[in-house]
Amino acid sequence: MYDKTVRRRRAVLILLVVLSLLLLTAYFGEAPGGRLHGVQRAFLSVVSPIQDGANKALKPVRDLFGSIGETLDAKSQRDQLRKQNARLRAELVADQAEKRSYRQLLALYHVDQLGVGEYRPVTATVVAKSPNIWYSTVTIDKGEAAGVHVNDPVVNSEGLVGKVAQVASDAAQVDLITDSTMGVSARIGTSRTTGIVQPKVGDPNDLLLQYLPANTQAQNGEYVVTSGTVSSGDESLYPPGIVIGQVSSMNEETGYTSVNVHPTANLHNLDIVQVLTAARGSRAANLAGALIALPPGQGSSAGSSPAEQLASTGAGG
Amino acid sequence: MSSQNSSSALLLRVAVLGVAVVFFQIGAVSEVPVFGVNVDLSPLLVAFVGLLCGSTIGAVNGFAVGLLVDLALLQTLGVTSLIFTLIGYWCGRLRELRDPQAALTPLLVGAGASAVSLVGYSLMEFMLGVDAPVSLELLRQIVVGVVVNTIAALPMWAIVRRSLEGALPEDPRRRRRRRAYTTGGLSPLSRS
Repeated sequence: MYDKTVRRRRAVLILLVVLSLLLLTAYFGEAPGGRLHGVQRAFLSVVSPIQDGANKALKPVRDLFGSIGETLDAKSQRDQLRKQNARLRAELVADQAEKRSYRQLLALYHVDQLGVGEYRPVTATVVAKSPNIWYSTVTIDKGEAAGVHVNDPVVNSEGLVGKVAQVASDAAQVDLITDSTMGVSARIGTSRTTGIVQPKVGDPNDLLLQYLPANTQAQNGEYVVTSGTVSSGDESLYPPGIVIGQVSSMNEETGYTSVNVHPTANLHNLDIVQVLTAARGSRAANLAGALIALPPGQGSSAGSSPAEQLASTGAGG
Repeated sequence: MSSQNSSSALLLRVAVLGVAVVFFQIGAVSEVPVFGVNVDLSPLLVAFVGLLCGSTIGAVNGFAVGLLVDLALLQTLGVTSLIFTLIGYWCGRLRELRDPQAALTPLLVGAGASAVSLVGYSLMEFMLGVDAPVSLELLRQIVVGVVVNTIAALPMWAIVRRSLEGALPEDPRRRRRRRAYTTGGLSPLSRS
């Protein structure tokens, strides 16, 4: 009887381990359109209404715990923001004249009429988030039915959030810019030199802008924005000028320069995001160098959002 | 017949608890960072179910919870299942071999399960290949993650034990020991 129990226990363990390894091997080896990925997407379609309901039901719990943490941070943030506010106000006054001529230039290229609305933004709510430090992903409540596609850029009022990785009918998985698989073509402020922004795995508050020319100069606090080009053949085409983060330090590597970037979007506390469903294609490439406005509601008129002002001046805050 | 009913009730409770905890985790707990990391209740759940129900149920529950997490979060299938299967099995064996009764047992088991989960995950990801540069901050995240999960271990233990209470099978070893104590066999007083 004892032997039988031991044998059964060991058999169950071996069976489950082998099953896990088989799943892992099959999943890792198949293409993103493969069967197991399909099963995952189907599962997501089934559970996304439940996740949506759970997300709404649990919002008070989240807000309660979130507010405790926010209160603790509020004082230091307030002091920091007061200083930042004073500096930005001074910069804003100085930039008024420059901004007027800039607007005229934009008007010449008919770019000022192209806000984020041109990219057909779809507003979505974050309904789930991975707790894993290796997977910086969130699940949103909009999918194929709302026009969301794989590789569509995702932004919020603070800047670039990530891109759509997988889509189900009424839900989608978004890889955040801190996910280990991400790479975004970017430039510093108004400079023309571009590099690739990659995450530093394990450090969600730090990104690395790599492969800049060796003589690249950048000031701490300068804004890093998407350059509007692709980092590799099959990655999404981000519209140019979306704020990614601020320069925090520079490193001289052999042959090139890399820059540490602090993401501007608060990726710990995402609630509402926008998926730019028409960002792919030639329009964004034609607009290289131009700046887009951040999601509606954040700026009163085209091009007047804080992010755009800061991106256009390249000034830090 | 009664034993069959009792084990069905136990499996049902374990399944409901697993689904509830996973959805609570990804819907609420994951969105509230504590000291810059997220509390991860799933390895704690798997460890405590193993500790209460034994190695076989622990391993099966670990596999199922891992699969649910991987499916719901669109992660690489099999990674979490593998790690959680081992955690559930080992915690079950701990109960079967040592049956620890100390008050600190849930804390230590929770810390161990969290450490195995975080380190195991990192090792698996390294083995599968990482394109991005890896920061030393990862070590800090792992350590802080273990500490935060350890803090969450006691309430989680209370929830798991309360949820499964009544459906747990009577452990013959524990029954023998209780009888021995009450009849004086192992009582320190009777030995002196």
